[in-house]
Amino acid sequence: MAERNIESVNKVREAVSQDLLGGRIDLLLGWEKGHYWWQSRPLFARSEEDLEKLAWDSFCAVNLSRYLLEELKDHDKIGVLVKGCDARAFNRLLQDNMVKRDQVILYGLPCPGMLDYNRLIEKAGGALLGITEENGRVILNIESGEQEAQRDDLLLDKCKDCRYPDPAVYDQLLFSPQGEKEGPERFKTVEELEEMSAEERFGYWEKELSRCLRCYACRQACPFCSCRECFVEQENPRWQGRAYQPSENFMFHLVRAYHGTGRCIDCGECERSCPVDIPLQELNRKLIKDINELYGDYEAGLDAEQEPPLLTYRPDDPAAFSEK
Amino acid sequence: MKKVIAREKLPELWKSLAAKGPLFLPIQEGPVVLFQPWQEGAEINLDAVNTAVSPKDVFLPREETYMQYRCSGKQLELIPAENIEPVTAFGVHPCDLKAVEMLDKVYIDQDPPDALYKKRRENTTVVGLSCSEPDPFCFCNEFGVDPADAPGADVMAHLKNGSVLLEARTDKGKALLEQAGDLLQDGSKETAEVKDVKTADFGLNLEGLPENLKERFEDPVWDELYKSCLGCGVCTYVCPTCYCFDVEDFGHEGEGQRFRCWDSCMYGHFTAMAGGHNPRAGRKERVRQRFMHKLQYYPEIFNEIACVGCGRCLRSCPVNLDIVQAIKALGGETVEQR
Repeated sequence: MAERNIESVNKVREAVSQDLLGGRIDLLLGWEKGHYWWQSRPLFARSEEDLEKLAWDSFCAVNLSRYLLEELKDHDKIGVLVKGCDARAFNRLLQDNMVKRDQVILYGLPCPGMLDYNRLIEKAGGALLGITEENGRVILNIESGEQEAQRDDLLLDKCKDCRYPDPAVYDQLLFSPQGEKEGPERFKTVEELEEMSAEERFGYWEKELSRCLRCYACRQACPFCSCRECFVEQENPRWQGRAYQPSENFMFHLVRAYHGTGRCIDCGECERSCPVDIPLQELNRKLIKDINELYGDYEAGLDAEQEPPLLTYRPDDPAAFSEK
Repeated sequence: MKKVIAREKLPELWKSLAAKGPLFLPIQEGPVVLFQPWQEGAEINLDAVNTAVSPKDVFLPREETYMQYRCSGKQLELIPAENIEPVTAFGVHPCDLKAVEMLDKVYIDQDPPDALYKKRRENTTVVGLSCSEPDPFCFCNEFGVDPADAPGADVMAHLKNGSVLLEARTDKGKALLEQAGDLLQDGSKETAEVKDVKTADFGLNLEGLPENLKERFEDPVWDELYKSCLGCGVCTYVCPTCYCFDVEDFGHEGEGQRFRCWDSCMYGHFTAMAGGHNPRAGRKERVRQRFMHKLQYYPEIFNEIACVGCGRCLRSCPVNLDIVQAIKALGGETVEQR
């Protein structure tokens, strides 16, 4: 089993159960174990019995903040467990006026990064029975015995270059902060793509996007995709055709990415949710990089008071388009 | 008829089969394996247990043209869809082929049958592929699928150490092996190294579940089960037994095509009506529809649950709201296992 630390689950449970059972919140959004030790899925806890199922381990990748959009319709006050990215997602929703701060209690979980099951089995090279973790190392429990690996090598792509593992907003921080990180390779692939000629780059994306099933998991998992009606579903005018043509794939993915310019919090839930592994974070990160270069460094979701660059007007804003 | 081919000769076999018509098989596409048409240089991956998306699109393509149209003035010209060529689907695992047989009941065993689907099905030679190692997400044993055999295949293929054994089961299958000629060697003395493949055991008890669900449309289970659903269409699109489509036009003024394409009951617009009413207003109604279709509506008509245990929804749902989750929540679990 993926035991990280029973103590830490207990600590989380203790913190939230007082509030849930004491009536300070009517719902807690957390995680519970799925069928497998490598799956932790959303938990909607309302009772002590529900809280028994609470999990906090290396597989709690699902961003819970997005569920507030629906759940706040039925509850007055909701508690949410937030990792660094989930907290930025909360700020995103706050800035979009989709949630109210005083209706939510945030329990901050400084996050060591979540593990990728595919990397684990690749490392194990065969049947993997479970893992144990200690001090940044992961011990893989394989049929022939044990194998040790560095935790950093087994992270989900979305966690690899995470710069802000600590929640930027919370009511209560449950563990000691991890501190800001460098994320040295965050823009590495984007830079490689920028080096390509326009034709090469078009070919690259045409191939990657050709796998798109238009299941819209990327949109549904995304904290910046909070529009009540997405352009995809609009009938008049009809922006998005249903055909599986390259032009329609580009239409969807480019509009989706552009709509997140200066708003994408780089949580990578889009890419993690994609059933055919389209590297969507490269599109998002290209736009993050462009914003940084044009308007100065900006990290969406870090500070709810700081307006996204494309939603503000300043007379000294660069006018890159007209200058060229 | 049994034939055998050395693994290193397979690329020649692909080439010769593809020369006669489209050849679909599991191809490594970047990080995922997809059931796709063969092309020179394609990286074939026969060892992958499950393709990311099921092979159903060989028979029910993601997008399929009904006809093309062209208008000039008051003249309307309708051009029927292009001919459906004979194709070969190589490497369809037993669960996925059983799922195709479930689609047959919907698309062929009806009056009238669906002409396009029927034609594609008849024009396809299916080479089944037995499973030697289950994927951790596989649970086909729960649905009585034998991972070692796909009874409906035209040819059954078994991977052996260094070779592949091909056993023709139908005339179409024999014709396929005969076409390959000298590339194949006589395999009449060969036997498949069939392993007893044990898939995940979730302790499901499906006995009586469809009947039991008949009166449970308003069951409080639905009020909880749907909560984690994101409302995307992953489950329906990777699923081998989901078969819904929509009909649309694609074109510009004066010309275009009318086509059908996959649709998903998880989408709001699936049941949206002119005038704005939507009988399945939210995620609860949509999640209920999908699981009821698998576990009650389909079985009521065709006497079997519309799931083959391929495990794709267990692997791909971003929040792990899969069919096992649903079956368990609905009480389809052996009590001792709880």
